[in-house]
Amino acid sequence: MSIKINVRPGMQHLTNDQDVVEVNGSTVGACLNQLVQQFPAIEDVLFDKDGKLLNYIDIYVNGKSSYPEELAKPVKGGDELYILQAIGGG
Amino acid sequence: MLTGDELKRYDRQIMIPGIGEKGQEKLKRARVVIAGGGGLGSPASIYLTAAGVGTIRIIDHDRVELSNLNRQVLHWDEDIGREKVNSAVEKPKRLNKGVEIEAVEETITEANISELVAGFDLIVDAMDNLPTRYLLNKAAIENNIPFFHGAVYGLEGRAMTIIPGRTACLGCVYRGPIPEEKFPVIGVTPAVIGCIQATEVIKYVTGIGKLLANRLLVYDGLNMKFTELVVKKDPNCKYCGHQGVK
Repeated sequence: MSIKINVRPGMQHLTNDQDVVEVNGSTVGACLNQLVQQFPAIEDVLFDKDGKLLNYIDIYVNGKSSYPEELAKPVKGGDELYILQAIGGG
Repeated sequence: MLTGDELKRYDRQIMIPGIGEKGQEKLKRARVVIAGGGGLGSPASIYLTAAGVGTIRIIDHDRVELSNLNRQVLHWDEDIGREKVNSAVEKPKRLNKGVEIEAVEETITEANISELVAGFDLIVDAMDNLPTRYLLNKAAIENNIPFFHGAVYGLEGRAMTIIPGRTACLGCVYRGPIPEEKFPVIGVTPAVIGCIQATEVIKYVTGIGKLLANRLLVYDGLNMKFTELVVKKDPNCKYCGHQGVK
């Protein structure tokens, strides 16, 4: 069973307008790598140049934050990830 | 004590189970700061005024610009160039003369924030930038004032209710500053989020329902869906960590 990655609206233009992308992987990091393989343009908005998750990005697994050690967080089929980025408009 | 006119004016909301006349009296006694008279501040102030919140203070330092008018519905064509805060208080005052609405034309800073919120029961976050939101979050925690967060970007919005000493705060959700940018937005998005913030204020004041405490509500207007994320109080949070995890 695959893992669903929910993409925030502000990033959906980078995922071909898809709000949910299905991937396979055993960790959050592996899932995000698959997302990047499918949609390379999303890499720069998630990771810094050293491959670390940007500090204003948080990955929620089944509604709960995976911080810290987000990329190593184990996941299994049926899990849902949510990519959260801080926003400040008003 | 409600007057005869107030009983008529608020009749339909007094009918709501849990509000009643007692809840309406609580709303009348409530003193709310709305930090920002723009996209979020417009719906929040309109609906809190309509609901009969007794005292509202709107803080803003900008002037009305043409590019504000797609979303900041308190400001109209004729207001371009005026102090935003004076334009912002004018319409709610005409909506409900029973509400005391005051304008404070100030830039919110670390130096003046405590003074700006002193004597008020609640703070609505209607800012347009994250750094000032953190100032409000800090002041809310230090002064033990409930804080109603909202933020928007394009067709996306967020809302969360922060009760100092009891719940996670804004610092527990976001780490690190975001790059400064001119953010996209269309008026319907702050309308949704500002109304959610106003709903939370009304619920808190009247003591009804379940607050968005320890829950970040994420609104996706593009796909018209709401997602709820669990936010835990972070014992290492630089704003509320000293209060411990209860």
